Amino acid sequence: MTADVLTTDPECLVPLRDVERTLVRKMKELQGPGAAPVLRARMANLVIFCNSLEQAIRINAHIPEIEAVHPARALLVVGELGPEERDVTARVTVRPLNVVGGRAHALAEQVTLHAAGAAVERLPFAVRALVIGDLPTNLWWAAPQPPPLAGPLLHDLSENAQQIMYDSLGWENPVRGVAATASWLDRIERGGSGGRWRVASDLNWRRLKYWRRLLTQALDPASAPGAAESVTEVVVEHGPHAVVQAWELVAWLSRRLGWRLHAGKVRDSVEMAWTFSTAKGPRLVRVDRLDEGPPEVRRIRIACMLEGKPAAMNLVVEEEGRRLAIRLEGVEAAPRTMTVPALSAAELIGRQLSDRERDPAFRESMAVAQGMAQSLL
Amino acid sequence: MAIELDTGATAREQTAAATRAMLPQPCQLVIFGAPGDLSWRKLLPAVYNLNVDGVLPSHFAVVGFGLPAEGTVKGDPDEWIRNRARDGITRFSRQDLDEGHWADFARALFFVPGSFNDAHAYAVLKARMEAVDQQFGIPGSRVYYLAVPPGLVDLCVTRLKDAGLVNDPDEQTAFTRVIVEKPIGRDLDSAREVIATVSKAFAENQTYRIDHYLGKETVQNLLVLRFANSIFEPLWNGKYIDHVQITVSEEEGLAQYDPLTGDMLATRAGYFEGVGALRDMVQNHMLQVLCIVAMEPPWSLGPDVVRDAKIGVLNCLRPMTPRDVEKNVVRGQYIEGDADGKRVPGYRKEVRDAFAMMHKPLPPSSVNSTTETFVAMKMFIDNWRWAGVPFYLRTGKRLPKRASEVAIQFKDVPHVLFNDHPDVPLEPTVLSLRVQPEEGLSMRIASKLPGPKVRIYPVKMEFNYASSFGGQTPEAYERLLLDVMAGDATLFMRRDAVESAWRFVMPILDAWEAHRSRDIPEYQCGSWGPIEADRIIEPDGRQWRTL
Repeated sequence: MTADVLTTDPECLVPLRDVERTLVRKMKELQGPGAAPVLRARMANLVIFCNSLEQAIRINAHIPEIEAVHPARALLVVGELGPEERDVTARVTVRPLNVVGGRAHALAEQVTLHAAGAAVERLPFAVRALVIGDLPTNLWWAAPQPPPLAGPLLHDLSENAQQIMYDSLGWENPVRGVAATASWLDRIERGGSGGRWRVASDLNWRRLKYWRRLLTQALDPASAPGAAESVTEVVVEHGPHAVVQAWELVAWLSRRLGWRLHAGKVRDSVEMAWTFSTAKGPRLVRVDRLDEGPPEVRRIRIACMLEGKPAAMNLVVEEEGRRLAIRLEGVEAAPRTMTVPALSAAELIGRQLSDRERDPAFRESMAVAQGMAQSLL
Repeated sequence: MAIELDTGATAREQTAAATRAMLPQPCQLVIFGAPGDLSWRKLLPAVYNLNVDGVLPSHFAVVGFGLPAEGTVKGDPDEWIRNRARDGITRFSRQDLDEGHWADFARALFFVPGSFNDAHAYAVLKARMEAVDQQFGIPGSRVYYLAVPPGLVDLCVTRLKDAGLVNDPDEQTAFTRVIVEKPIGRDLDSAREVIATVSKAFAENQTYRIDHYLGKETVQNLLVLRFANSIFEPLWNGKYIDHVQITVSEEEGLAQYDPLTGDMLATRAGYFEGVGALRDMVQNHMLQVLCIVAMEPPWSLGPDVVRDAKIGVLNCLRPMTPRDVEKNVVRGQYIEGDADGKRVPGYRKEVRDAFAMMHKPLPPSSVNSTTETFVAMKMFIDNWRWAGVPFYLRTGKRLPKRASEVAIQFKDVPHVLFNDHPDVPLEPTVLSLRVQPEEGLSMRIASKLPGPKVRIYPVKMEFNYASSFGGQTPEAYERLLLDVMAGDATLFMRRDAVESAWRFVMPILDAWEAHRSRDIPEYQCGSWGPIEADRIIEPDGRQWRTL
C-alpha cells in the first residue's frame, strides 16, 4: 500500500482537477455492480504535513489505523523544501473499512499531495480545494520543526483548521521550540479566520495523561498527607527525544505545587535543572536524558516527607509501558499501580481528532514551560 | 398533449392537470446556431442522451440551422452536422456513444446551412422542415432553440415570423415554441427590449427563457424536499432559520489552457468582459434558486402557479440604496494565483491575451478592466416568513473548487444544557443542498461522542444522488428540452420574473457605475475571494461556509 500511494510512477498520478471524480470512480469499483451504496466514512478532514518523503512513508503506513479510530478524509501533504523543483502532484487511494462477510460497509479515502522546492507554496491551494465542508478540519503538523518556527506554510495550511496537532517528540531545537510555543498557542487559538474556534494540541501532552493522573493520585492529601507541601526535589528521567515530554510534565507539576521559577541551567544537553522558590525554601527540578530506551518519560523521583519522615516516591514504567507504578522509599508500603492502555501512534492521532476541547492545564503548563525555556537561553 | 392551464379552471382541475404526467409531443427541434459551441457541448449530447433513455417523442427530428465559423460547409450538410454531433457526444455526453443508438439518433439529424439574415435561407429551412415532417410523421410542431448571440435574437425571430414559420399561440397540434438563452439583456431597459423583440413573433406562452440551473436535479429536489417532507416546511422560516447562504463557486477562469504547453485554447472573454458576475450569475441563476428556496408553498404544480410563487419572492426583495450597496455588496477580481497546482494569470492579463488571440483591439475600458469576477452580498426578503433573515449570496471565478450549494443554517439552541459554556462551541445545524458537482444534500447535526463524558461532535448525514439512485443524473439541458416539448414552462423564466430580477440588481449596477474606480478588491486565484467579502458577514457573527 505504501508503495502504491507514494510511488513516483507517473502512471499513478491523478490531475488535481480529477481527484474527486477519481475518488468516486474508485469507490464505485469497490462497491461492485448492483451492490448497495457503500458509506463514505468521513467524520473530519485530516491534513497531514510532512517535509520529507521518508517521513511521509512512515506516516502513510499509519493512516488506515487512524481512519479505523476516527474516519477522516486524509490529505497526506508532502512538501520537500530544497533546490529540486517538483510541481504539485496528486494520488488517490480508497480503502475498505468495516469489512463484514467479505464486503466493505464503509470506505475511507486518502489523497496524497507531493511537491518540492518553490512549488511547496502551492500546496495550501491544493488543500483548500480538497477539504470537505461542514466537517471539522484538523492539521497534523508532522514536520520536526516546532510549529511556532514553521513560517507561513503552517499558517496557510491551517487557514480553516479547527485543530492544529503537533508532536513535540523529537523537536530539533527543544529549548527554542518550547520558548516560542506558549505565545504561539495564544496567537493561533485566537487567530482562527472569522473568529472560528481553533485549538492547538501537542500529542506529547496526550501521552502524559496517565502520568498526570498518577501524580495527582500520588500527591493527593487524602492518600499522602503533607506530601505535596513537602516536595523538595523532582527528578524526571526520559528516553532519547522525549525531553519536551518530560519538560511539559515538570512544568505542569510545578504549577500544581504552586512553585515560582527562579533559575535554570542546562548541562551537556543531557541534563536540565531549574530551581523554584516557595514559601518553604528553594525547590529543585531536574530532567535527565537516558542514553537509551523508548522516547518517553521513564521514571520520576519525588523527594518529600511521608508519614513525617524524609522519603521519596518513585513513579516508574513497568511491563513494557502497560503499567505505571508508585514505589516508596523510606516508608513501608505496598507498591500502587495503574494500568495504562496501550496506545499506538495511530490511535493517539485518531483519538485526538475527536478531542477538540481546549485544555487549560496544557495552556498554563506551557506558560510555565516558556519561562523555564527562557531561563535556559 | 401539452397542458395549458385555463384560467377559468377550478383549483382542483388545475392541480389535477398539473400533476398529470406531461409527455413530450412530436416535434422538430430546430437549433439556430447549430454549429456553435453550446450546440456541440450541450444541446446535441443532451438530445442524444434523451434518445438513449427512450424519452423523446416517437415522432421527432433535429434540424440545425446556421453557418460554421469557416462560413461554408463542404460536402453533405447533414453529414457535416452528424460528424460534429458525434464529436460533441464523444467528448461531452454523460453516456458513452453507442453505435446502435447513434445510428437511430443520426438518421433524424439534419442541417440547413444559411445566414440568419438571408430570407432565402429561411425558405430553404421551411422546405426542409416540411420534408422532415413528412418523413417522420411530425404534425408541423416546432421548438426553435436560439443558441445565438443576444444581438441576433431580433433578426432570427423577425425572419422566422416573416417566413411564416411561427404558428398561432393557440394552435395545439402544430405548436411553435421558442427557447431563448441568457443573457436576457444587460440591464432592465435592454431586457425589456429583448422581451419585446421576441414577443413580436411569439406569445408569452410560446416563449421559454432558459436558465439551465433550474434544470438541475438538486434545484428541482428543493421543491420536493420542502413540500414532500413534513419535517422541513414547519421550520422553513425566520423563527428557526438563522440565515441562508447560496454559493456558486467556479474554479475556471475566463480562459482554458493547454495543460502541456500552457497556451490559451479557448476564452469567454468576448462575452464576459464588461458583463461581470452580477449579470452573469446573480441576476439569473442565483436569484432563481433563491426564489425556490424562499417561495411560499404553491397551491399546485401548475407552471404559472409555481412561477407566481417565485415572483412573490422577487417582489419582496428589499431594494438596495446606494448606502446598502456600499455596505452589503462586495465585488472582486482575481489576480495571479494557483489553480490545479499551477500558477495562473490574473483576469486583466487573461483579457489582454484573449483579445490578442482573437486578433481584436483591446477596448479602452478593458485596459484596466473593472469587470467583477466575484460578487458577495447580503440581502433580505421583506415578507412575513423571512423578516430579519439574511440571505448571503456569493459567486466567483477562480475559487478553490467548483461547487454550488444552498445552505440553510438553523438557529442555535438556547444557551442552556449543552450550549451553556460548552468546551467547544456547538456548531449550528446546517442543511446543505449541493447543486454541483455531486448533486445531493447533507445535514450537519450534533452528536455525542462515545464515552463516559458528554462530548459533542458534528456529524454529517449525506445523501448523494449518484450513489443512492445509481446511474447518472440527467444533465439540466435534457430535462429542460423535454419540458419545452411537453409545454411545461415551470422551470423557465417568465417575463415578469426577468424584469423583477433586473429591477433588483439595477441599483447595484448603478452604484458601481457612479463610483467607477480602477481599484476593485482583488483576490488570488485559488482563494475564497477578497477579504472585503468577510466584512459583509463577520460583523453579524457569521462566517462564509467552507465548501
